[in-house]
Amino acid sequence: MALAGLDLSVPSGVVYGFLGPNGAGKTTTMRLLTGLIHPDGGTIELLGRPFGRGDRHRLFDVGALVESPAFYPYLSGRANLRALAASGAPTPKTRVEEVLELVGLKERGKDKVSTYSLGMKQRLGIAGALLNDPKLLLLDEPANGLDPAGIVAMRDTLRHLASTGKTVFISSHLLGEVSQLADVIGIIAAGKLVREGPIETLLSAEGQVRVRVAAAEVERAVAAIAPLGVAARVDGSDDGRPAGPANETGWLVVPIEPSRAAEVNRALATAGIYASGLESGSDLESLFLELTSAAPPAQAAGAPPPVVGGNWQ
Amino acid sequence: MRLFVSTLGKLRNRLATWLTLGLLILLMAVIYLAVGATAKETATRPNGAAALLLITFPGAYALILSFVLGLGGLFVMAYAAAIAGSEWTWGTLKTAVARGESRSRYMLTTYLGIALLAGIGMLVAFAVGVVVTFLAAKLAGVSTDGITDTSIFGNLPEQFLRGWYGLVELGAVGFTIATLARSQLAGVGAGIGIYFAGTFAGLFLPDVVKYLPFAAADSLISVDSAGGSASAGGGQSLARLDPNTALVVVGLWLIASLAVTALFTERAEISG
Repeated sequence: MALAGLDLSVPSGVVYGFLGPNGAGKTTTMRLLTGLIHPDGGTIELLGRPFGRGDRHRLFDVGALVESPAFYPYLSGRANLRALAASGAPTPKTRVEEVLELVGLKERGKDKVSTYSLGMKQRLGIAGALLNDPKLLLLDEPANGLDPAGIVAMRDTLRHLASTGKTVFISSHLLGEVSQLADVIGIIAAGKLVREGPIETLLSAEGQVRVRVAAAEVERAVAAIAPLGVAARVDGSDDGRPAGPANETGWLVVPIEPSRAAEVNRALATAGIYASGLESGSDLESLFLELTSAAPPAQAAGAPPPVVGGNWQ
Repeated sequence: MRLFVSTLGKLRNRLATWLTLGLLILLMAVIYLAVGATAKETATRPNGAAALLLITFPGAYALILSFVLGLGGLFVMAYAAAIAGSEWTWGTLKTAVARGESRSRYMLTTYLGIALLAGIGMLVAFAVGVVVTFLAAKLAGVSTDGITDTSIFGNLPEQFLRGWYGLVELGAVGFTIATLARSQLAGVGAGIGIYFAGTFAGLFLPDVVKYLPFAAADSLISVDSAGGSASAGGGQSLARLDPNTALVVVGLWLIASLAVTALFTERAEISG
């Protein structure tokens, strides 16, 4: 995936959630930031300074878990961390035990990695990323394979690291997890950054009201809402018209601040239209789908377009 | 230095290391003991006396070395390919690079570890070979008086060094093939393919094949010394380089292989 002018502003001491659909360029970004690949053009800045070929020492301040965790299966978890500590950033010998303790693998440290579960390998990968006590931690799908207790523990660990001034940059498909963990998010689609900012600010700014009305009343509902200064549209329909039979109901999306939901309801009632449902505000999933559906990832020729929304029934 | 020590630790704990050495020793033991057990019948056949040279000291020393380096060359190539390929397929190179490790330094240090272990393995296999040959000679009723003939030892260190040099070259070729293919299997397969293709092609294109990795390594110690004809690489090349020319050719293969490894690794896009 080609990246086009991707400019991420990652403040220090925060957890940054890096989101995007498959093929959007998340992993490419992670590989670029860890020197696994190099850009065809343009420049990369890491920790505020240019990062290019020959700048590998800059990674001494970075800990990374890119794609799947990688280890020698025939070595123990502890031996793997020792081997890893011998490469790249100088690492004190005592650090191996510290990170094993931190990820809850001290008891299993002597066991071969080939006997580890996926979640244990993931924890060991996070331990490896923490070996050099990095200023910036880059984690690709860190919750992958973790059980609920492991996810909670990981979340606590990452929050703790951020509270000590470290910057944690996580790429994830688990929107719920990111919404709980991240302070700031960046959403990427088709190689471009489509939204970035503090998660609470983004969700409130991107808020909307959704009302459920009978399909036959859609046109009247849109007209009733129009005086509020917004153009309501049918959720999931490109042309703004309901897709189902006339006696069905569906959601109208009203791009208006959630605090004005009552005004929407009043406008509909005044016009004699009674909504059978009303939702206000936004969540990360809605925001993500809205932003990324406008720039769908490349797909095979002839494949059907992705369906987002469209819940007439 | 810490990377090199760590590399040795990783190799020491790897099953492939012990399997390679064990297989070489096992094959040698089986062949030599079989020769010893059948020596009396073999001696009566045409050229049968030549077979007894295998277990007759002091000439047996050079032949043991020949065996170790011949089959060992193939084994070291496959072993080095397995190690290089796994760095890519397991993603361990990726992890090291993401920690700021130099790509080429990482791979070349890994190879340095392999080269050192190849030398140690050669010495161990040779020592076991002497014991096995002694037992085979006893089994065959061949005199073992020559085992204390010290005249052979003066030449052995040079033979060892030349043999090790050949192993290091062959290992480097396997290491490089696996690096280019980013695959253990491809590296091992290509190594074995080169070995047999080279041996076969040597029948038709001897003047070309003698410059190829196995044949050049074979020529390194292709000298009649101390009562035996030793040959590294194990091939049956009809044409051989003279040993000193072989030193240069092997050196070129070694340097070229490691240079390609370093260059490719530096420029490769790493994923997985």
